Amino acid sequence: MSFEDPEGTPIAGDLAGGSAAAPAEPMLTTRPAPPPGASEEEYANHSYKVYPSGRRNVVEFDNTYKSFGPNQILRGLTMGIPEGMVSMILGPSGTGKSVCIKHMVGLLYPDSGDVRVQGESVPDMPDEQLFEMRKKFGLLFQDGALFSSMNLYDNVAFPLRQHTEKSEQEIEEIVMRRLTEVGLGYSRDKLPNELSGGMRKRAGFARALVLEPDILLFDEPDSGLDPVRTALLGELILEIHREMMEDAKAQKKPYLPTFAVVTHDIMSARRVADYINVLWRGRIVEAGPAQDMLNSDNPFIRQFLAGESQGPLTMD
Amino acid sequence: MDDLFAVPRGWLESFGEIVKFCARILADVASLRVFKYFGEVLRQAGILIVSSTLVIWGLVFIIGLQCGIEGAYFDRSVGVPAYAGVFAAWCDLRELVPLCFGYMMAAKVGTGIVAEIGSMRISDEIDALEVMGISGVTFLCATRLLGSMLVLPFVYLCSIGAGFFASYLAVVQQIGDVSSGGYFLIFWQFQNPPDVLYSLIKAMAMAIVIVLVGCYYGYTATGGPVGVGTATAKSMVFNIVSVHVIGMLGTQLFWGANPRAPIGG
Repeated sequence: MSFEDPEGTPIAGDLAGGSAAAPAEPMLTTRPAPPPGASEEEYANHSYKVYPSGRRNVVEFDNTYKSFGPNQILRGLTMGIPEGMVSMILGPSGTGKSVCIKHMVGLLYPDSGDVRVQGESVPDMPDEQLFEMRKKFGLLFQDGALFSSMNLYDNVAFPLRQHTEKSEQEIEEIVMRRLTEVGLGYSRDKLPNELSGGMRKRAGFARALVLEPDILLFDEPDSGLDPVRTALLGELILEIHREMMEDAKAQKKPYLPTFAVVTHDIMSARRVADYINVLWRGRIVEAGPAQDMLNSDNPFIRQFLAGESQGPLTMD
Repeated sequence: MDDLFAVPRGWLESFGEIVKFCARILADVASLRVFKYFGEVLRQAGILIVSSTLVIWGLVFIIGLQCGIEGAYFDRSVGVPAYAGVFAAWCDLRELVPLCFGYMMAAKVGTGIVAEIGSMRISDEIDALEVMGISGVTFLCATRLLGSMLVLPFVYLCSIGAGFFASYLAVVQQIGDVSSGGYFLIFWQFQNPPDVLYSLIKAMAMAIVIVLVGCYYGYTATGGPVGVGTATAKSMVFNIVSVHVIGMLGTQLFWGANPRAPIGG
């Protein structure tokens, strides 16, 4: 797979992308067989092309399968999230995007296949290692998932109080800086049920940021927001990513901050994404840097990115 | 034939799941992992004291009155009104105080735990905890269990006091067939310090089961708000049955072979 060699140079990637040589053409391997019980026709629009990002992948899915009862959600998913970029996992509703996120942080385990974070297999981790690994992640849930028994300040301070030895004064400084960044400095004493949906998302964002994680995941940050708030949240994501990149470079961190956003909102994808994975029927249709994907000639991707009713994607 | 066994097999399966989950919580307490979150343990203990103590004592007090009144009238009817203290000693200490404590624990504390943890489950708060690198079982369940274990022995011993006081009020002050001294003579003859310990063991076994079962049903709640409601109802059924089974087994174990009744020499 596409991991660093000992000198730190990324090695050419495979289907999951991530090659250092950055050839102009997408990497193609043998076309995988359709998943058990599915016909080749159903996957006719999956071209499995992966345009190289030029970065190593910090999260990798390797032929991952996951079912819930009779519902097969991930059906041989092979996907990479490149380091230091804002990646989008884009796809129609119910196609397994949120399930992907839960696999990355070990809240769900694959039925078969593997999920690796910074090169280490998540399903193989013992509990202690898993809890340590999760500290590398920040996750913004759809509705913020704030603790309803705590006010906003305590919610954002919670990870710092649990995982660091910082004094209350230092904690207050960090929390207020993050709350102010997301525009909630004036609401520190409010309880989550006193906030609007957008405010809860921003507060969840602040809480996900306080431990300065290597990888930040966003589960449909735009759901339930009006277009203007969605655009503003997109800008905020980009701005914070830029800041974190500068900090990481200044501090020479081993991994650059990576953001992965799960969404089906095409406008967000156009505005925010550096890299796009398009997911459908539990597999990647195509993946690559945003520009390559926006220019893709794949009929499914063209339909999806244009938001048209005519094309391979139907109501079925 | 398969269909015939499907239902009991399902019950066995869920019972196995509950036992496995409870063992995880007990292991977190026994291995002292829970002490990482001792602040949360104290918070839970505080919540228990503030929100549940008075209501438990209140119910036990009423049951103490009932025991006293029924005991006094029964003893009057068979011509031994001076023996009303037997009822207070046995009925309160051995049976009804533990049962009422169990009922109120199941109704107030158990369902409260299911509702709280269940709501956290369906609003992704438990997932958020786990993603922060904090074990939900340790932080939410083991802390509640330890908090209960710290507080409930004292709450229960006070409950016994409330029950005894109520029986005394009913028998001596309200009905008045027996003098205070006569009442206490019989009352103390019919109980020993080990009886208090056994009663405490019964009640603590009930409390631990109720907290563990509450944690299980809350932690595994699915299906939105309706699912939390269903889980709360299921936990209540399980806990009420458990309270009676523990009560029965406790009585059989502690007083079945030797009722320690100073009757007939």
